[in-house]
Amino acid sequence: MKPLTIAAYNLKRLFRDRSNIFFVIILPLVLIMLLGSVFGGTFTPEVAVYDASEDERSRRVVDALEQVSDVDIRLTDSEDDVVDAVSGGRAQAGLVIPADFSAQIDQGSAVTVRYFGRLDTLAPQLQSAVNAVIARESAVIRAARFANSETGVSLDQATSQAQSALDELPAMTVALSIVGDDLVPDAEGFDSSAASQLLLFVFLTSLTGSVALIETRNLGLSRRMLSTPTSARTVLLGEALGRYAIGLMQGLIIMGGSALLFGVGWGSPGAATLIMVLFALVGAGAGMLVGSLLANEQQALAIGLLLGLGGAALGGSMVPLEIFPDTLRTIAHIMPHAWGNDAFATLLQDGGGIADIGTELGILAAYAAGLLLISSYIFRRQITSG
Amino acid sequence: MTATTPDQSAAPATSALRCEGLSKSFGDLQAVKNVSFHIERGETYGLLGPNGAGKTTTISMVCGVLARDEGEVLVDGQSMSSGSVDVKSLIGYVPQDLAIYPDLTASENMRFFARLYGLSRNDANSRIDEVLDTIGLSDRAGDLVKTYSGGMKRRLNIGLGMLHRPKLLILDEPTVGVDPQSRNAILENVDQLSGEGMAVLYTTHYMEEAERLCDRVGIIDEGELKAEGTRRELVSLVGEHDRIQIEGAGDLEAGVAAVRDLPAVREASVAGQVISLIVNEARNTLPELLSTITGTGVQVRSIDVAEPDLEAVFLHLTGKALRD
Repeated sequence: MKPLTIAAYNLKRLFRDRSNIFFVIILPLVLIMLLGSVFGGTFTPEVAVYDASEDERSRRVVDALEQVSDVDIRLTDSEDDVVDAVSGGRAQAGLVIPADFSAQIDQGSAVTVRYFGRLDTLAPQLQSAVNAVIARESAVIRAARFANSETGVSLDQATSQAQSALDELPAMTVALSIVGDDLVPDAEGFDSSAASQLLLFVFLTSLTGSVALIETRNLGLSRRMLSTPTSARTVLLGEALGRYAIGLMQGLIIMGGSALLFGVGWGSPGAATLIMVLFALVGAGAGMLVGSLLANEQQALAIGLLLGLGGAALGGSMVPLEIFPDTLRTIAHIMPHAWGNDAFATLLQDGGGIADIGTELGILAAYAAGLLLISSYIFRRQITSG
Repeated sequence: MTATTPDQSAAPATSALRCEGLSKSFGDLQAVKNVSFHIERGETYGLLGPNGAGKTTTISMVCGVLARDEGEVLVDGQSMSSGSVDVKSLIGYVPQDLAIYPDLTASENMRFFARLYGLSRNDANSRIDEVLDTIGLSDRAGDLVKTYSGGMKRRLNIGLGMLHRPKLLILDEPTVGVDPQSRNAILENVDQLSGEGMAVLYTTHYMEEAERLCDRVGIIDEGELKAEGTRRELVSLVGEHDRIQIEGAGDLEAGVAAVRDLPAVREASVAGQVISLIVNEARNTLPELLSTITGTGVQVRSIDVAEPDLEAVFLHLTGKALRD
């Protein structure tokens, strides 16, 4: 029970400072949401449209635009609104249908719709979708004009017949086939960012948590615990358990919270939890090691941030391992993050289970055991020697 | 008992604490050299020495925090080692550092250590209230320790060592850096504890504290216990005596001649209007001295009594002042 008591008071101290609730739990969730939004498939670009003509022909163009998948159309009241929306970043592109749109078509004149965009947004890509809609409508109009000139049927009637023919007749379509793997696998949802961020934050929190361990040691609390009927092994176990509980709790909250709030998929729940359990142990061992080796809290904070962020970058928690050159990818596996990311990738991309990530789990377990043994030896020497 | 280099043969087998031949080295530095002493139940024993004398190293070995190179420690007859667990429940250790969590309240700190000492929940609750009352922190028990004054932290530091009613309370320089009022409160607490039958091992480099609190004092320097005994025994070991200076008017030479033959008087002289005497037991002798001197017609205007103190003893034994 004494190790649990020591661990429980570690947690009590952590959350006594309310700002830690933000850094340990809320910030990771916010970052998962932000990164998921940037890379995520739930983002839908928006095109602001001002229909100055407001007649049947122009409405048909707007209707056709609204049929385009994965693009939202927002109607505005003026051209200025379109420009404001695009320049302000609220819409990724804009389209203005002129007031004389139908009149020019009726007169057989060329008509121009104006397209607005910023080069730093998705405007160039969206222009393709808009061009396709306009081309289709142009084809209808050209066919109607041809029928009008050849047969004398009214332009409206010819337009209606051309539209019907276009809807009914077989047409040329482009069929998309995906070949090869994504350069950045699974980079289209919350899932990829959530897994890598999970590992980053759990490791970072564990390393910076070494500050509390150093404080406990420097205040003489560890030695005082040893003066009570408590063995050095119990003190070590309690301190390690405290570090572990913090990392594991953060990890499970991020997993559960992101699944509930953002629909993040973690693959097999049992396998994902096992990765988290082992990775939190690795973090606890690393935190204990930093806390045992360094002399003061300032050093621990600086080294903790350096190792936490640098290790995450090298281990593929900032940039996916798949885009690393082969040599660097091999080197990246010095960090436990790389093994954790590999394990999550197997769960998320291949739908794997525990049996498919045995190697990664074994290596994470070895990391944890090694770090905990080394740090326990050093910490014990520190508190039991003069 | 005569003050000497400690002789453990005089210690009863069931002393609250019995240390024999404690030694500890850190590399080439021998921090503690063959230190032996014992403390009886209800006794307050002071380890008096300057900073770096080996006091903290000695008590770290006594309470099992630090492994010793040689020697033996018996607490209430039970052997203590760095691997001992159960016997540690007999000891309350108050380190020199403020070994308390600043981001917890006094109650939370106490509850934490009560669990480590193995107190039941009920016992812990009642004991925490008692100790908070004893150290005068009941009204601030729910406040975070980091909001306390230095003196309050020191008192809490002591309170944590008393929680489990130890048979031996070890205090390592508990008054360092505290204001006079808190210092006085701490000394009164320690005095009260020894009065309740608890054995106390008290280290200090303040001579006044050792003289005020301790039944016996061990003088330690450079890792060696130079001598131990009661204050009187240590003083007599040094061979110094009490000095009395009497300022008066009249025939001072007659006054000196009259007291010179008293058994307690070792030397007597006159310089100007002052009679200087070196005597045994000045406090007991003074009434007879005054009576004899005034009997010769000398009018006494002031009296100054100087008893040799532990500072003088330390100087005599080590050749340096206590605070060097």
